[in-house]
Amino acid sequence: MGIGSIIRRAAACACIASSMAMIGHADAAEKHKIFLSMSFIGNDWQAEAANMVKAMAAHKNYADKVDLQVQVAGPNAQRQIQQINAMVQAGAEAIVIFPISPTALNQVVKNACDKGVKVFAYDGEITEPCAYNIAIDQEEAGRVTAEWLVKKLNGKGNIIAITGVPGTSVDNLRTKAAKEVFAKHPDIKIVGEAVGMWSQAVARTELSKILATRNWDDINGLWMQVGCFTANSMQLEAGKKPEQLLPCAGEGSNGGRIQMLPAGTEAEGATPPYAPMGAPRISYASPPYSGALALKLAVDAIEGKEVPKKTVLPLPLVTNETIKLCQEGTWQEMKDGCNAFKPSIVSNPGWFASIFSEKTPEIGLNAALVGQPEN
Amino acid sequence: MTMLTSTSTSRNWASLFSMSPERRSVLIAIAVFLGLLGLVDFVSSGPLSYFDISFLSSGGATSAIAAIGQTIVVLSGGFDLSAGAVISLVNAVLAQGMDPAAAQTSVVYWTCVGIGVGMLTGAFNGIFIAFFRLQPIVVTLSTMFIIQGLTLLVMDKPGGFVAPDLGTFYLGDAIPGWLPMPLVVIGVVLLAWLWLKNTRFGTAIYAVGSDPDAAAAIGVRVKLTKFLVYVIAGGCYGLAGVFISAQTGSADPLVGNPLLLSMFAAVVVGGTRLGGGRGGPLGTVFGAYILMMVVNILLVLNVSAYYSTIAEGTILILAVLAGSISYSSTLAKQLRGAQAQFSAWRQGLLPSQLDRTDRRMKMPSSAEGKPVASSFLSRHSETIRYALPAYLCLLAVVIVTQFWLGRAILNPTYWNSLAVLSTFLAILALGQGTVILTGGLDLSVPWIIGIAGILLAGIVNGSDAALVYALPAVLLIACLIGFINGVGIVVLGISPIVMTLAMNGILQGFALVYSQGTPAGFSSPMLRWFMTGKIWTVTPVVPFMVLFVIAAVFLLGRTAFGRRVYGIGNGLRAAQLSGIAVGRTLILVYVLSGLCAGLVGVLLTGFSGQASLGMGDDYLLPSIAVVVVGGALITGGRGHYLGMLGGVLLLTALQMFLAGTTLPYATRAILFGLVVLGAVMALREKRS
Repeated sequence: MGIGSIIRRAAACACIASSMAMIGHADAAEKHKIFLSMSFIGNDWQAEAANMVKAMAAHKNYADKVDLQVQVAGPNAQRQIQQINAMVQAGAEAIVIFPISPTALNQVVKNACDKGVKVFAYDGEITEPCAYNIAIDQEEAGRVTAEWLVKKLNGKGNIIAITGVPGTSVDNLRTKAAKEVFAKHPDIKIVGEAVGMWSQAVARTELSKILATRNWDDINGLWMQVGCFTANSMQLEAGKKPEQLLPCAGEGSNGGRIQMLPAGTEAEGATPPYAPMGAPRISYASPPYSGALALKLAVDAIEGKEVPKKTVLPLPLVTNETIKLCQEGTWQEMKDGCNAFKPSIVSNPGWFASIFSEKTPEIGLNAALVGQPEN
Repeated sequence: MTMLTSTSTSRNWASLFSMSPERRSVLIAIAVFLGLLGLVDFVSSGPLSYFDISFLSSGGATSAIAAIGQTIVVLSGGFDLSAGAVISLVNAVLAQGMDPAAAQTSVVYWTCVGIGVGMLTGAFNGIFIAFFRLQPIVVTLSTMFIIQGLTLLVMDKPGGFVAPDLGTFYLGDAIPGWLPMPLVVIGVVLLAWLWLKNTRFGTAIYAVGSDPDAAAAIGVRVKLTKFLVYVIAGGCYGLAGVFISAQTGSADPLVGNPLLLSMFAAVVVGGTRLGGGRGGPLGTVFGAYILMMVVNILLVLNVSAYYSTIAEGTILILAVLAGSISYSSTLAKQLRGAQAQFSAWRQGLLPSQLDRTDRRMKMPSSAEGKPVASSFLSRHSETIRYALPAYLCLLAVVIVTQFWLGRAILNPTYWNSLAVLSTFLAILALGQGTVILTGGLDLSVPWIIGIAGILLAGIVNGSDAALVYALPAVLLIACLIGFINGVGIVVLGISPIVMTLAMNGILQGFALVYSQGTPAGFSSPMLRWFMTGKIWTVTPVVPFMVLFVIAAVFLLGRTAFGRRVYGIGNGLRAAQLSGIAVGRTLILVYVLSGLCAGLVGVLLTGFSGQASLGMGDDYLLPSIAVVVVGGALITGGRGHYLGMLGGVLLLTALQMFLAGTTLPYATRAILFGLVVLGAVMALREKRS
């Protein structure tokens, strides 16, 4: 069966699909059929990213243009392969993917591209050259946070490293880059290292294990991919005062951001440990708006605009010098530089706060929380 | 259809065991598969073409081939948790081994390498299971960790290169326009199995799976059979690894791991009985494709992402139920039983309606004194024998920790942390352990934990007053979930693995819908203090833990409920005949398991301060491992709670030790696997 007949088949498929859709709703003919293939929906980041994509699709600029269908593949790359294939068959014009694996999808993505489907990967990466990738530079994330910690410790001290999910390229790039920085400073010693699986709950369990045989006093700093919020809570439980908290380079969860605010800052709904305490931090994140941006770019690509294959998102970095509380959380307010949200609005401290992008004025706080676009 | 059955099921085997249920369940698996295919065809745009068939066939091939291997293990009465890890390993080995510069790659050579690597891991499993007589579930769990570590050593991040030749071969067409290659590969494996089944060895697999003792008595070489079964299964995983390499063109060290649970579902949906002796790979292949088709069905029906796991769980249950509709199914029996009971009640013949005269045989009260109680040691020798190794290993780990990291034995913080961190698994061990004692397995633990935590945090929202009603409410819900599990298993006759696996997915969906993706709320100060506060050096949960352990020992050792649990585990039929209300007890067992998981969800929320989605995911395999390391038999009937507690303490102490070192993760995984294996080796030594 040649490529020609495959294309014919796909075209026939798309025709029938669109005619079927027309029976459903009259205006569907002009809508672009776009699919979102998520990996796993069972964690905060994924759910937030999904909300933002949905909000983007619901925004008035896109609601008439886009027919978005969201599907979940679970943690299984095999299923995502199957799913992408099925989406191509169902007449997708573009597929937005949170790739479970950067490599396992290559063949199926190439297949999709060959049939004229635009494939966009967000946060993770797909190494197949025809795919569009939208993500931060993970190496930069590892390097910058490690450099901050070294500077904070004046190049000397014992640190604990909590990494992500072993065997993923994101974890690998971040951890490697950070360790290269630490290796340049012989007086910085990693005295404990554990796998944190990018989860606050796991970070707490692992830190508890490390601290069973160590004391907070033997440790001078923390480098964590996720878990600074938890680490600060644990230090407070161990009897430390807020001003004695160790410098922690880590994730961009709202809980951590609130802790970075100077002690005594008025933040509605704050209860310790989810409260301002001037914790010495650098906060970075893989921003959850990347999926929404991918959708936007996908529409551009369908409409024939020039879209670069690789979009490197600016790394959202917040330190104690740049932390600022938002009052409402509108896009405009975030543009003016606020980057943490009141606990009364965001009750989950594990929620990721790096939701602002210059490029996505369609979505603000409500998009990330409940999937509602800005006006 | 009838033609198909009479040719595909060997006459030899049918006449040997004269069983038809599995033949029927294969037929039903095929029917369900065709039904789903028809549904996709009906709903999706346009008729199914060769191209659709081709891509469907390649999509399900990896899990189908691997599940064939798993089926053979299950048929022999075993269990293989290392299957997913082997697929990843083969994938990594192939991608690292191939030379991107080479113009030509030999498909045959690399296929052999893949199958060879798989067979080697299978041989490793087989040696321990067959010749050292260790329990398959622990051995393969240890190998799983070891292999995952090895895979990360071979390749620490996704990448590598798999020659396109491999992809062209395995994903191409055997007969262009008619027969896709993946179907041929599966067909070849099935044919090989068909040949094997008709040999003496094939008969031996079924015999060993049905009853190893009887098999040994009629001269089957049980050890050799078991060993070979794992080697063959390893070969299947290896081939699956080759296939996935061909399909993806590169490698990912984590690619195979998530395949594990769905593989078991495929085996069960295909009509193979866990525990051995009945079923076959043909049904499994269709089972695997049914599970894969669910992806397409969710897509064509446009099921919302939040509901997808609910839909999946429901489809799984329905598929299994459809497979069991017959006169002899559990549901039919239950209905007939209820009918008989009703008519007996109308005629006034129920035992409770008869006059209650004591009909017991009069025993001459000849034995004057009471029987002399034997010494404590001899009464409990069996328990001690199985429980002791875990504690001895624990001691060893603590000593190593002391020497390596210092600050262990004399450090109260160490013991307090050990107790606190053990709490979660110790509680789970009671629930999961009781389920295992009855010969079942509860896979719904992760999301009972998740949903309990999320509900609690949401209701409590930082208020101690709300905790008073939130806690009982949440625990009640957990019990209810366990009850539904139990009813599904007892009344509907669904296999525990399928029922609880489906329940897990359904709960995940509910948790997502309830929380809209972001769980709100946080634990109350009192609950947080309970889990993280200190009275001197002791966290308040530790004394609670001690009480819990005492209660658990009492429950299993000193109550009628406990005796019934052991009775059922030792022989369901015997328990039934001796008047134990098996159904009621089993339902209670799952209620207990649900309750324990719910309690862990609550405590974890207190420990972390908030609930998160997926917070229970890391507790499933450990909850099974600790039970078995503590000396319980996975097939039921044997095990003591104190032994399981030893297993919990051992694994926790080991993890604490490993976390304190700066060893790379891969090395830690390997060490962890080796220690678990060592602990069960010690179990065996005590046995002879």
